[in-house]
Amino acid sequence: MSAPGTPRARVAEPATPIPARIGSTVQSSPHYTTTRRHSLYGTEDRIILDPGSRIWKVGFSGEGRPRDVMLVADSQHGETSLWKLTRLEGDVGMEEQERMLEAMLQDRLRAVFHDSLLTDPKSRKVIIVENALLPLYIKEMIARILFNNLQVPSISFASSHLLALLGVGRITGLVLDCGYLESTALPLFASRPLFPNLRTTPLAGARLTNHLRALLLYFGEYYPPLTSLGGSANTPAASHPKRVPAEILTDAVMEEIKMRCCFVGPALDDAENLTGSPALEADSSVELEVPPSDMSIEDSEASHSPSHRASMDVDMASVSVPSGSTSLSVDAAPHVRQGEAYLRKLRKMYERNSTATNLAFKVVPPPGSQTGTGRGTLIVPGWIRERGAEVLFDGGDVDESSVAEVILDALLKVPVDLRKTLASSILVVGGTPMLPGFIPRLHAELIQALTRPLPSPSPRTSRARNTSTRNANKPNPPPYDHYASIRPLAPHIAILNNPSPDSSSATGVVRSSRASAHAGKAPAFTPAVLPWVGGSLAGALKIGGEEIAREKWDEATGGQDDEIGPDESMEVVDERPRRAPHILPDWSRAPLLPGAPPAPRPQQLPAMSQQAAVGA
Amino acid sequence: MAPSVNYHCPCLSSAATPPPPNLPSSSYSFHPLHTLYFCEECDAVRCNRCVSVEVSGYYCPNCLFEVPSASVRAEKNRCARNCFQCPHCRNTLSVVPSDPPDAGDLTSSTIQIGSIGEPPFFLYCNYCRWDSAEVGITFEKPTGLALQLQKTEDSAPDSLEFERLKEHFEPFLRASSLSASTSHLPSTSHAPHTHTNPITAAASSALARDIPGVGKYNPSLGRSGGPGGGGGRSGRDRTANKDEMPEYRSRVQIGGAGSGGDEDADLMRHLEVPAEIARLEQRWVSSWATSLQSKHLKPLRIPLHSKPTKRCPSCRHILIKPEQKAQSVKYKIKLVAANYLPAITAHLPHAQIPKRPVALKSSVTSSTGPPAAEEDTAEPTMVAGKTYPFQLALTNPLYDPIHVRLAVQRAPLPPQLQSQDTAGTTDKEKEKTRRPPFAVSLPTSAFPIAAFAEAWEYEDEEELFDEDGGLVDKSSPAKDRAGKGKTKTVGVLEKKANCTVVGGEVVIGREGRGDVKFNMLVSYTYRSDDPAPSDGGEGDVEPRSPTAPKAAPEMKTFSFFTVVDLGVIVPKDETKVE
Repeated sequence: MSAPGTPRARVAEPATPIPARIGSTVQSSPHYTTTRRHSLYGTEDRIILDPGSRIWKVGFSGEGRPRDVMLVADSQHGETSLWKLTRLEGDVGMEEQERMLEAMLQDRLRAVFHDSLLTDPKSRKVIIVENALLPLYIKEMIARILFNNLQVPSISFASSHLLALLGVGRITGLVLDCGYLESTALPLFASRPLFPNLRTTPLAGARLTNHLRALLLYFGEYYPPLTSLGGSANTPAASHPKRVPAEILTDAVMEEIKMRCCFVGPALDDAENLTGSPALEADSSVELEVPPSDMSIEDSEASHSPSHRASMDVDMASVSVPSGSTSLSVDAAPHVRQGEAYLRKLRKMYERNSTATNLAFKVVPPPGSQTGTGRGTLIVPGWIRERGAEVLFDGGDVDESSVAEVILDALLKVPVDLRKTLASSILVVGGTPMLPGFIPRLHAELIQALTRPLPSPSPRTSRARNTSTRNANKPNPPPYDHYASIRPLAPHIAILNNPSPDSSSATGVVRSSRASAHAGKAPAFTPAVLPWVGGSLAGALKIGGEEIAREKWDEATGGQDDEIGPDESMEVVDERPRRAPHILPDWSRAPLLPGAPPAPRPQQLPAMSQQAAVGA
Repeated sequence: MAPSVNYHCPCLSSAATPPPPNLPSSSYSFHPLHTLYFCEECDAVRCNRCVSVEVSGYYCPNCLFEVPSASVRAEKNRCARNCFQCPHCRNTLSVVPSDPPDAGDLTSSTIQIGSIGEPPFFLYCNYCRWDSAEVGITFEKPTGLALQLQKTEDSAPDSLEFERLKEHFEPFLRASSLSASTSHLPSTSHAPHTHTNPITAAASSALARDIPGVGKYNPSLGRSGGPGGGGGRSGRDRTANKDEMPEYRSRVQIGGAGSGGDEDADLMRHLEVPAEIARLEQRWVSSWATSLQSKHLKPLRIPLHSKPTKRCPSCRHILIKPEQKAQSVKYKIKLVAANYLPAITAHLPHAQIPKRPVALKSSVTSSTGPPAAEEDTAEPTMVAGKTYPFQLALTNPLYDPIHVRLAVQRAPLPPQLQSQDTAGTTDKEKEKTRRPPFAVSLPTSAFPIAAFAEAWEYEDEEELFDEDGGLVDKSSPAKDRAGKGKTKTVGVLEKKANCTVVGGEVVIGREGRGDVKFNMLVSYTYRSDDPAPSDGGEGDVEPRSPTAPKAAPEMKTFSFFTVVDLGVIVPKDETKVE
């Protein structure tokens, strides 16, 4: 052949991984001590992208913090997240939704490279920090955009739960990722995610926002801005609190309230205490923190959320309808909605259990009534600040476990031998745990769930003894306790990144030595960024997971969906998303390695360097 | 909202036809003309969503210093000089010296920015009056501030912890890669892409698989206690470290740092002013558990900007190449679509009635029957069940005259229904939505647009243009309008220099609602005399006849799609006519 360049290039290709391998094996070389500039232009560094449904974190591997964090939701159209837990039904709606999502993803991904990182995507390998429940179609979309539009050389997907564990220097643990749409608990052992034991709940940031909004609509107070700046002209209307108009509680305002005002108070008193309260005696159940009416209001909110666009407006409208009909004095309302009654009960309970100060929050008045001057004032009651997040800890629902229950459920599912290990290395990551007090509270809830005294079986059993004769000689069945088998784990429960591990030992449970050796011993990375930090670490150690090279992708896709489609092909409009090739590895469609347990990841640790060698 | 015309870039889908304009996703396929590029090699429109972008240079937007790309990486895309942002309001901070001990205020303020000043310098925000002394950041010299801060940044706890984590994992990885390379069988069976006999792979992986609770025998790890050690010890020890990973000891434990824990909860509980807590945007980049309070925020280094070079995604030709200097806003190469495609602007004459109330309005309203009530509705809205004229002004950027043909893209549904039909058949919502809410008529024949020329060349050409029209129209609009009436709303209305105005008409169904938004195919024929426009023929007498002196082989046609958005239909029941 006349091209001497080809063999030369071929020689050069394996040459790249070799220094990498040496670098990782021969530790004594000064290569890593000067790691700051170990590549002048840094093209060896991978790009770590943590794509949440709402917030993305991006940066380069080997750095301790992301370069940029961005809100990716389409806030102009009232969306609070890029994708939701539901997809539209039907072909037409779904296709349109996917097209929208793909276009927005493309926007965001291009912005990542061109605006945030200012780098050439063609020379950068990418590691995607992948939530275990990231929908496959989104994953494929991201890969398609990265390969076709941005032409990155390779992508690897790495489990966010595993990366978070790496970020605290471990490879075994039970990770709760409490994000915006979902909270997902996933046990991992020796860097293998035990995906079949994954548990999830929709109690997460979005639910918290909705709950806070509902509480504020009912119990917040709003002072419109002064109608004029003349001091004497202040009408009495301005000095009286008004009901909170739904329009002012925009997503941005809610987010700011969440961020700047809310925190998580200590655990509520135990169930008995609450059953005694007059407000709640109507529906006393074993786990009284959730009166059954909870479902109705949550459903009424949740049922709107999947609506395709402007779900926020619909949400607010649905909530604000009763508030509009009832005047300021809620007690005089002719018809009290069930949800409202429930919220009032909550209020009584929460108010008693809160000592937080009320806060005055400046908000832009609703656009309709721009009569005043300046900004209005929203009074956020202290109990909402402190107890708004109670919704995340309200358990007892089979479909929507609390964040504590989701951890315990996952613990229930893991093999018995691992339970103790995992229970003492719980890691909490995600944006919602950034609420001050969240993690200590979660710990308290875990302990409480495991040590809660069983409801005394006496009345029922005595009745059974008297009335039924067939069970007379059998011992009474113990009252059902979901967590009976893991109750002994209570002393071993430890959250690795518990910021105040000692204060939460006041629950009366003597902590085991292992638990106290683990609790709060994680490095002080924030929960929200931990998966990203782990990804950065994995990139620096060249263990980013199985790489998919662009050649492989092009091969699999036939290179057809190149950026510029054939202009004259009249036939296909919607074939494009269908062409998703199954070359992206995903645990949910894992072709089980023959004979091996369903955990293909850990073996990749050693294989990683080879992967890099092949891909490079 | 003014009517708009956006141009289609086919990059988002492989289909030749653009998406229906009523889909919300279609807005991503259409772009304003001024954001588009044109690749001469591919003869195609390119947009910002498909061009491939390369960085041709970095600069600081504040000091306009060009940063060499080698140091960009080390400085994390931030300006490494004296440029900082206020952490509260993101304003640029300025370096100010401390107040001299006793000098008068006036004199000190005049020389403040200069070089003289007392040694402890600090950063000061001119907008919100924040200064870096609040967070204990002061400087000895007023220059090289980033360098002075660098030391503290290098020893930031997150980067130190990160290095420690790396050191923690490296021996483990080394050991596992060693074992993988020495013992061949397990490694090949685990590597997903080595092709081995599936049976041996299955067997070996079954053998090598981890049994929970039973540590894998791995001599290279130097597992304490050796292979038999696992079973012999007490239960607690046995389960303590099953993953063979040594315990990681954090440099700074989160339990000691206390952020996010009870202290912060207490702070929040007794909070009086929400502004004391930093916003999300101010905190989220920090990966380290830091204080919640906004008074502890540190100044930020200003992020660099880049000057991008843009290339065609298929042929790699450069479309945009900026000049290297940061101060320059010029381009070395600039292939923008505005230089190739005719610019189209749309407007609704009835929306402009209040602006020019004279002859035009009266003639229009009198000639066309229905819009008697139109005079009342001065706002630029369109009421359902009526007919409105609209005008498209096309401007030719080429040095050659072009012939343009417009066509409305047929909707996939049965299009062009008369309003009577819609009214007659629709009782159900389904039916309504199925019917197109409006119908558009445009001049069907090709019409010419004169070549672009410098402004002074147009004066004496006016008559020439008038003479050789040959098409449906004469170019003086006012005279003909009154006579021919309705037909004149559709057709070429006006020609002036390199701009031609054509009229169209939109018939809105009685039940129509939504936006009047339609895709329009624009194809124009031009004389392709190759890259160099050799002829000086702007003043050519008949530029627009297809039978031009040089005939067929020289003519080229280029087509592109646009979406015309005329505005929102006002439902009829709001403003009832008659």
